[in-house]
Amino acid sequence: MTLPSAAEAVVEPLEITRRPGADLWRAVAGNRKAVAGVLLLAFFLVLAIFPGQIAPYSGTAEDFGRGLGPSSAHWFGTTAYGQDVLSQLISGTRQSIIIAFAVGGLATAIAVLVGVSAAYLGGVADGVLSLITDVILVIPIFPLIIVIAAYERNSGLFTLVVVLGALGWSYGARQLRSQTLSLRSRDFLEAARVRGERRFYVIVFEIIPTMTSLIVASFLGAALYAVLFAAGLQFIGLGDPNSQSWGTMLYWAENNEALGAGMVYWAIMPGVCVALLGAAFALLNYAFDEISNPALRLRRLERKAAQELEPAPAVAAAPDSEKILEVRGLSVAYASDDGPVVAVDNVDLDLRRGEFLGIVGESGCGKSTLLYAIARLLGAPLAGEITGGQVLFKGRNMVSMTERELRAIRWREYSVVMQSAMNALNPVLTVEAQMRDALKAHSDLSKREIEKRSKEVLRLVSIDPVHLHSYPHQLSGGMRQRAMIAMALLFTPDLIIMDEPTSALDVVAQRSLMVQIKELQERLGFAVIFVTHDMSLVSHFSDRLLVMYAAQVAEFGKTRQLFDKPLHPYTQGLLEAFPSIRGENMRLVGIPGHPPDLLRPPAGCRFAARCPHAHERCAIAPPLYDVEGDLVRCVLYEHDREAVAAR
Amino acid sequence: MRFVLRRLGFFVVTLWAAITLNFLIPRLMPGNAALSMMSRYKGHINPNAMHALEVAFGIKTHESLVHAYFTYIGNIARLHFGISLTFFPDTVTHQVLQALPWTLALVGTTTILAFILGTLIGLVAAWRRGGVLDGVLPPIFVITSAFPYFWLALLAIWLFSIKLGWFAESGGYDVTTTVAWSWAFVSDAFRHSVLPAVTILVTSIGGWILTMRNNTITVLAEDYVRMARAKGLSPWRIMWHYAGRNAILPNLTGFAMSLGFVVSGAILVEFVFNYPGVGWMFLQSVENQDYALMQALFLMITVAVLIAILAADGATAILDPRTRDRS
Repeated sequence: MTLPSAAEAVVEPLEITRRPGADLWRAVAGNRKAVAGVLLLAFFLVLAIFPGQIAPYSGTAEDFGRGLGPSSAHWFGTTAYGQDVLSQLISGTRQSIIIAFAVGGLATAIAVLVGVSAAYLGGVADGVLSLITDVILVIPIFPLIIVIAAYERNSGLFTLVVVLGALGWSYGARQLRSQTLSLRSRDFLEAARVRGERRFYVIVFEIIPTMTSLIVASFLGAALYAVLFAAGLQFIGLGDPNSQSWGTMLYWAENNEALGAGMVYWAIMPGVCVALLGAAFALLNYAFDEISNPALRLRRLERKAAQELEPAPAVAAAPDSEKILEVRGLSVAYASDDGPVVAVDNVDLDLRRGEFLGIVGESGCGKSTLLYAIARLLGAPLAGEITGGQVLFKGRNMVSMTERELRAIRWREYSVVMQSAMNALNPVLTVEAQMRDALKAHSDLSKREIEKRSKEVLRLVSIDPVHLHSYPHQLSGGMRQRAMIAMALLFTPDLIIMDEPTSALDVVAQRSLMVQIKELQERLGFAVIFVTHDMSLVSHFSDRLLVMYAAQVAEFGKTRQLFDKPLHPYTQGLLEAFPSIRGENMRLVGIPGHPPDLLRPPAGCRFAARCPHAHERCAIAPPLYDVEGDLVRCVLYEHDREAVAAR
Repeated sequence: MRFVLRRLGFFVVTLWAAITLNFLIPRLMPGNAALSMMSRYKGHINPNAMHALEVAFGIKTHESLVHAYFTYIGNIARLHFGISLTFFPDTVTHQVLQALPWTLALVGTTTILAFILGTLIGLVAAWRRGGVLDGVLPPIFVITSAFPYFWLALLAIWLFSIKLGWFAESGGYDVTTTVAWSWAFVSDAFRHSVLPAVTILVTSIGGWILTMRNNTITVLAEDYVRMARAKGLSPWRIMWHYAGRNAILPNLTGFAMSLGFVVSGAILVEFVFNYPGVGWMFLQSVENQDYALMQALFLMITVAVLIAILAADGATAILDPRTRDRS
């Protein structure tokens, strides 16, 4: 029933790819920072592998004049010992690359081992491993390495790698642990457990592949820190002074006061190399962050789509005081990597004062997008844009209003109730502070009046006003939800837009909250647009019902009429998918198949692929037909009827 | 309350781990560097100092390891770190206390400044997503955050002291001024601190900018930010109380975790500038094989980091009511 389709796939942070490879490469190639990082790294890798072929001279030979300036023979001059600086730089690359990859690999291996086992084993093992991780994380590693190096002077490359690797894994382990914890209860792991697969197998083949990007990030972070720390250690003379490395070059340059003595490149270029190699890792790390967390990427609709907005008429054609809201031809599109996704396609609807309108449909049919487009609240994560149409609220076109103009009517004239109060209430402010924010934004009420009004609305939804001073997390789920409704009532607006406000609750709490909403509505007279995927929920409360399918209106009519005589095959399917409360027992039938991909919707009827009545006429996109006041988008009803709209 | 106790417990464990490492490392190292150093000093230094070294390194073979360990911990508890070889016959404790104010003034102030500035810039960059600030600063700081601190310090000295002569080349103050709370001294010390401070600032601020920017972008996608927009709050109010207030929480945790990194860089910056602080003294002690001083300084750096983390914890508890209620 709840298959995500295009609209939601764009919105949700994408799952970290389970099967990296092709996708990963495509993502890397499309990210400028990643490309820069890969190119830099490749450059140094080539230098590290073929130093003899590339360097003009030997890195150690003291064959030349001392402290020469840059020339065509010596691009970066020579050292105080008569060595060619460029050749030394090239020969020194290998050590930095070895340190970066060896430490990165070692630290990542330990991080995976510790992080994943801690989370997967749980209990005492987790406690001990996490404590060790946190302690190592907090102890200043670099001074510790200096202490070790002070006792083990002129230690070789091997010791350096082991020490850096053994101390540099804690940050990665911590992140991998929390990621594993969040995966533990996922379905596919449960399935593996139920299948009786061995723990080791589950870890290696089920958990670790899902964390590719975190593991890569851990590797890159450790490699970066290894390059910087190793250079630092060698610079202060705690490495092997005879080794060929950038840090050692800096050590000798500093000892000979190269900068003051005019051998500028000797002192600067090794640092440039360290910085560039470090930058390669940092850029890759940053790019990976963006790739694995699509929220960080900024997508924009192409200009063209946004400009198609038709100019709105100055005044609504026929101001009908009874109609509080009129939506005409509203379309919304999301930008995606593959082009615009039209999540709301040319939707018309109207709402009278005090009316209760239900909007139903499967997940991803565009109903929430429609709601937030009407409220002018699109924006991350629903980064959609209105691409056409009008939203006339009390005669004013909200689509052409500026954010400043909107602010003046928000909450005073229409308010919003969201699906989960846990997410919709600011976790760090008390209920009172959040109510005060709203009241102060739109009125000059005194402190006492603000408190009085806040208490009043809480009483309206039967919450004890002592909870005014509570933080959201201190309230129960049902209370939070009612507190949010109370907040929506602060100014007794004309319209309250509700996005599945009860779906986070259990059935009993759901029912009582619905009754309460309905009572408040009758008492205070506001109109409601109520979005839900649960048709049975609104059956007793809504006056009219709008059924959405694949971004379009499938059917729109009086609730009673729609329940008694559903016209659209999709509506019929939806009704059969829910148990009737009063009706006789019957077999529940779902709708086979799933909604079409909104990136490339079918040219004809969008429901045809799942429709039991589909025939060749469905290849042409059907318009809406008026069947005794009930609008329906289906060719079954084309006989003797004029289409309501062109589309 | 239990949260506080648990955190304090964690700090005690960490401190214990650092002390134990300090105790074990010289004893586990092959070749016994301490022993060779002591034979070098024999006859050159006063028997009391020799005895202190023997205790510090457990050279006295008749003492069992366990006994030595507890003696060591007892000494540390009473802040008895022995006699410094570099600054003989001064005690290590006295030396450390002399270096501490310099580091606190330089590294402490710069780190806090970098954190505050970086957090602010990151917040604004994310808030004006895709704007000029957001387009320029994050990419630049991804790269500068990979710069070696000490190298940037070298460049700064070369450019601003040697070439331009704007600032002093090294040291914490001009040796011709007397160390006192006088205007001449303070202004001179300030002038000496500008270059090292800017170096630390430039290399450490990038991390805060990037994490705060990414946190804020994540938070801006939260329902409560959209709810704040729906309520018609002013953008200013949404930015500070809804986006910023929530986005800074993970940054505070990050502050605690990256502090070790900043301190490491600061040690090298002090070294390059010959700045008379803890980091410079630490490397001096390494160079002079003054192990008693070195170990004391390592412990002190650890304690300083722990205190800073404790402060970050405190700030988190003040800003996040959920932390306060967690039991």
